[in-house]
Amino acid sequence: MRVSFRMLLAAGCCALTSLTCGFATDPSQAGSADIIVTAATSYEPLAALHGGERFPAGSQLLVIHNGAAAPLVRDFAATADASVSFDGKSVLFSAKKNTADPWQIWELNLFDRSVRQVIHSDSDAIRPFYLPGWRLVYARRAGSHFQMYSARLIESKTLDEIEGKGVQPVFPISFLNFSAIPSDVLADGRILFESLYPLGEGNAPELFRVYSDGSGVESYRCDHSTAARWGGRQIRSGDVVFTHGSSLSRFTSRLAAEERVTAPAAEYAGGVTETASGDWLLSARGSRQGKFQLKLWKPGASALRVMLARHTENLVEPVLVAPRERPRRHPSALHDWSYANLLALDARISRDGAMQSTPASVRLEAQDASGRAVSLGTAPVESDGSFFVETPADRAIRFVLLDAKGEVIRMEHGWFWIRRGEQRYCVGCHAGPEHAPENRVPEVLTRSATPVDLTSARGGN
Amino acid sequence: MSGLRVFSVRIGLASAAFAVVLAAHDRTGFNAQASATSGLTGEQLEYASPVELLYSASGTQLYVLCQESAEVRVLDARTYKEIKRIEVGRVPRGFSLSPRGDRLYVANSWDDTISVIDTHSLEVISTWPVAAEPSSVVEDREGKHLFVANRISNDVAVLDPQTGAEEKRLAAGRGASYITSSPDGGRVYITHVYPNPTPHRTAPQSEITVVDVQRAVVGDRIALPSVAHGFHIAFSADGRLGVAAGLHPRNLVPLAHLDHAGAFTDTLTLFGADVGAPVEIPLDELERYAVRPFGVAITPDKSRIFVTCGGSEEVTVIDVPRLLRYIRSHPGSHSDDLAASANYVISRIPVGHDPRGVLLTRDGTKLLVVNRLDDSISVIDTRTSRLTSTFPLEGPKRISVLRKGEQTFYTARYSFQGQIGCANCHIDSTFDGLQWDLEPDGFGRDIVDNRPIEAVKDTEPFKWNGGNPNLPTECGPRTEKYFWRAENYDDLTLTDLAVYVRSLPPRPNRFRLPGGELTVSQERGKTLFNRSVDKFRNPIPETNRCGYCHSGSKGTNQKSFDVGTKKTTDNSGLLDTPQLTNIAITGPYLHDGSANTLEQIWTVFNPEDKHGRTNDLTKDELNDLIQYLRTR
Repeated sequence: MRVSFRMLLAAGCCALTSLTCGFATDPSQAGSADIIVTAATSYEPLAALHGGERFPAGSQLLVIHNGAAAPLVRDFAATADASVSFDGKSVLFSAKKNTADPWQIWELNLFDRSVRQVIHSDSDAIRPFYLPGWRLVYARRAGSHFQMYSARLIESKTLDEIEGKGVQPVFPISFLNFSAIPSDVLADGRILFESLYPLGEGNAPELFRVYSDGSGVESYRCDHSTAARWGGRQIRSGDVVFTHGSSLSRFTSRLAAEERVTAPAAEYAGGVTETASGDWLLSARGSRQGKFQLKLWKPGASALRVMLARHTENLVEPVLVAPRERPRRHPSALHDWSYANLLALDARISRDGAMQSTPASVRLEAQDASGRAVSLGTAPVESDGSFFVETPADRAIRFVLLDAKGEVIRMEHGWFWIRRGEQRYCVGCHAGPEHAPENRVPEVLTRSATPVDLTSARGGN
Repeated sequence: MSGLRVFSVRIGLASAAFAVVLAAHDRTGFNAQASATSGLTGEQLEYASPVELLYSASGTQLYVLCQESAEVRVLDARTYKEIKRIEVGRVPRGFSLSPRGDRLYVANSWDDTISVIDTHSLEVISTWPVAAEPSSVVEDREGKHLFVANRISNDVAVLDPQTGAEEKRLAAGRGASYITSSPDGGRVYITHVYPNPTPHRTAPQSEITVVDVQRAVVGDRIALPSVAHGFHIAFSADGRLGVAAGLHPRNLVPLAHLDHAGAFTDTLTLFGADVGAPVEIPLDELERYAVRPFGVAITPDKSRIFVTCGGSEEVTVIDVPRLLRYIRSHPGSHSDDLAASANYVISRIPVGHDPRGVLLTRDGTKLLVVNRLDDSISVIDTRTSRLTSTFPLEGPKRISVLRKGEQTFYTARYSFQGQIGCANCHIDSTFDGLQWDLEPDGFGRDIVDNRPIEAVKDTEPFKWNGGNPNLPTECGPRTEKYFWRAENYDDLTLTDLAVYVRSLPPRPNRFRLPGGELTVSQERGKTLFNRSVDKFRNPIPETNRCGYCHSGSKGTNQKSFDVGTKKTTDNSGLLDTPQLTNIAITGPYLHDGSANTLEQIWTVFNPEDKHGRTNDLTKDELNDLIQYLRTR
C-alpha cells in the first residue's frame, strides 16, 4: 500500500460528506487495496465507439479507502478512466478542467499527489493505459470517431536511443474511419481494444487486439456475435472477461470461442477487476432502471455482494490501486518502408466453410475517403491457396478472392489495416486464431520471393 | 577470459546508463530488477543436474541420474535421504534397470560407454564401450540383449548383457536417443532428437524405430511426418496406448511472428491399438504453450498422462478417457488446432527449471519429476494434480552465473506468450538440423541453416551474413526482436546467458584416433585441405585454399567470403565462414542447408571452384578430404 498520508487525510475528510451524499459502503468487503471507480449519473458505455459521450452528465473518479469514498483529484470539472501504473504508484486518467474543455490525459502521482497533464490535445483524449516502456495508449477524437495513439510518458534523449531512430513520440496505432477504444493492456504486451465494423464484421462492437506499434491487428476470437462485446479486461489467469450483451463472458486461452461466465443474473458493465483474494470487483445492476453498483463476486457464488452503491450515480470501471505484473514490452520490428507485405499461406482456409470454386486471384480493396471500396489490383493465388502482396499501409484494406472468371468467391467481412513496414502472414482468410500454420513452404514463395505490388491505385496486374 | 571481461564491462556500462532512466521512470519501464545471479563470473559450481530417475526393484531406493556431476545418486525412496553416489561416465543421459533388478545400466553419452552397476553393492562392476553418444539403454526381459540408442551414430547397438560384447547394430533414425520397452517386453521403441534427412525445404520428419526384441531386428518404423525432435515414450500398462513426446516445428513458414504457434507446436504422438493409426495431438493452447515436452508417464489405471515441459517449466496433465474419446470422434492429426487441447488437457502444474524425467510410484498415486537446472525433485499428487513437495538434492545452493545462464537458455518465459526458448532450436545446446526462413531478410529470402553452437566461443561474428558482432548482440537485441518478439532479458541475465553459451564445449569428436593421430586417409585429406597447388600443378590462390578461410583451431578465420553458393533467393553471396567443429554430424551443409552431405558441397554446389579448388579431385580424394574434415 503506497497511498499517501495526504490521501488518507483526504479520505478521512470526505467520509462525513459521503454519508450525506448517499454513499452506502461495506468496509468489511473493501479488501486491502484502495479502489478507484468512476461515478457518473449517466453512463453510455458504447457511446465513444460512435463518437459520442460516455458520461453525458459528467463523471468523477472516486478513491475508496477502508470503505470510504472520496474524490481522487480535485479542481477538475470531470474525471474518468483511471488506470493504475504497474508499480501501483501513479494513475493515468482522463479529465476536463472545465466542462466545455475536451477530455485530456493526466497523471496523478500517488506519493506526492502531484498531477500533470500528459497529453495535450485539441480534441477529446480518453481511455489511457500504461504501456510497458514509458509509453501510454489512449484514444483521441478524430472527427466523429476515436483513434488509438501511443505516446511517450516522458521525453528524454535516453528514451530516443532506446526506442531507436524514427520512432515518433506520438504515433497512431489504429487506422480506420471508425472508433478504436483501448480496454486493457494484456500480459503478452498487446493492447485489447473495442471497435466495430468496418474493423471485423457485423454491426456489434467486438474485442480486438494489436501490438503496441499498431501491427498485428486481429479480432480476439472469430466467433463473432450479434450482441456487443465490450469492457474487456484480463484477469490473473490470463482470461479476458468482458460484457457480452449485458452478461459476462470470457475468452480463455483454451477455447476458440467465448465461454459464458455463470454469474448471477444482472446487467454488467464490463471492467472486471480481480482482487487479491480472487474475488471479482465489478459493476452491476438489477435492471435498466437502476444504477450500476460496485459489487464483489466470488466466482461460483450464487450472489453478488454490494461493496458500494450510490442512489443517483453509476459506479463503473473499478480499478485496484496495487502493483501488478508488468506486461512484456513489444519490441517493434517494423521495417523502414512506406508499404507493408502480406503473405497468405492458404486463402482457402476459413471458418466460413469450403469454397465452391478454386480461387485464382485475389483483389485488394481499400476504402476511399468516403468509405467506399476501391480496387487496388489483383494478384494470383497459387494452387495451394497462397499469395504474397505488397500493400498500402496504415489504411483500411480487405481481400476479395476471385475465381478464374474473375467472379467473387469470397470476400472479407470487414476491413483491417497493416502497418508501414509490417511484414506478416495469415494462415487463411478468417481462419481463426486457433489455427496454426501448416509447416510447408507456400507455393507462392517457391515462384518468387518478391510480392506483387498492389500499392499503386492501378494495382499489380 | 579477457574477452569476457571486455564484454562484461560493456554490459556494465550499458546497465549504468539504463539505471539512470530506470530509477526515474520505473513505473512503466523496462526490467529494472537485476537478475538473481549471485555467483561470480567464471565460478564453476558442481551441480548434479538430474535428468532421469528410477526406483530400485524393491522400491526402497531411488536412483537419480545426474548429468553434470556424472553420477548416479542413490536415495532412500521414502525419506529422499542420500545413501550413496556412484561415479559413472561423462554426461550420462539415460539409464535402466535390468529385468531382475540386479543391475543398473547407465549410458554415458560423452564417453561412449555403458556403466554397469551392481544394485546390491552399488558399485560399477563393468564399463562397456559402445558406439557414438549412447543416450539410453534397455535390457530385454529374457536377458538376451541389451539395446543401446546411439545419438551420433544413429543406430541401436545390440550387446550381450553378460559380456557387453556388441553383437550388431541396427540402423535407427537420426539422433537415436530414448529407448522404451513395450509392457510385454516384445519390442523396444526408439525416438530421435534430430530429424531424418529430407529433401531441401520440405517438412522435417522423424520416426519411432521399433525393434523386435526376440530377433533383435528392426520390426517397424513409425513415421512421424511432421515431428523433428522426439523425446520420451511411455506405454499404458495394457500396452494398447503408446505416447511419444515431440516438437513439431514450423520452420518452412516465415518466422514473422509467434502468434498462433508460429514457430513450434508441442505435441504428443499417440500410437497403438487404442488409437489405430498414429495421431499427433497438440499440448498447446491459443495463448499458452507446453514448451518442449520431454518426459511422459501414464498412470497404471490409464486415467492420466503426465508430460514434463522443459521450456514452460511445468507438467501437463491429460485425461486419457477424454483424450481417447476426442481422437475417436475427430479422426486425424490435430497439431494445427490450438483449441484441441481443451478437450483433454486438464491441468498444468508449475515445477522447476527444465523438468526432465518422470517416475510414477507403483501405485500411481505420486509422480516424481526431476528439475534438471534446479537440482531438485518435485512430487505431484496424481489424484489432485497438485504439487505436494519439492526436495533438493545435495549440492551447491548458490546459483552461479553459468547455471543462471543455462536456466535462461532453457526457459521459454522470455518469448511472446512463453512459446520458445534457445533450446527449442539448439537441442541440448547443440543444433536442430533445420533451416529457417527468418523475417527480417524477406519472406522466402535468405533461408538459413541453423548453425551449431558447440565451442562457439571465438567464432564471432554470428549469423550467416556475419551481421552480429558478438554474443550479446546475437542473444540480446536480435533475439528480442526477431525470435522472442517480446521484451528480452535484463542486462545481467543477458550476460549470464552469453557466458553460458561461450562456455559450451564441443562434444567429443568420434572420428579422431586416440591421441589425436590421423588415419592414412585423414592424413591425405589434411594434405588436400592445406595444398597450395592442384593436381595439374597449377597454384591455388591462397584465398581459395580450404585452410585459408577454415583456419585456426575452430576452422574459421571469422571473415566473410562469396564461395559461389548464392541462390536466387539470397540477398547476398557474402557469407560468414562457419566453424568446422564436429562438422561430420551437423548436416545438412551450406548456409541454406541445401547440401545434404559434405560431399555435395563440392560435387553439386562448387561448379566453379569458388568454394576451394576441388573439381580436380577424384571421388577417393574427396573422400579423403571428408575423412579429414570429420576429425575437426
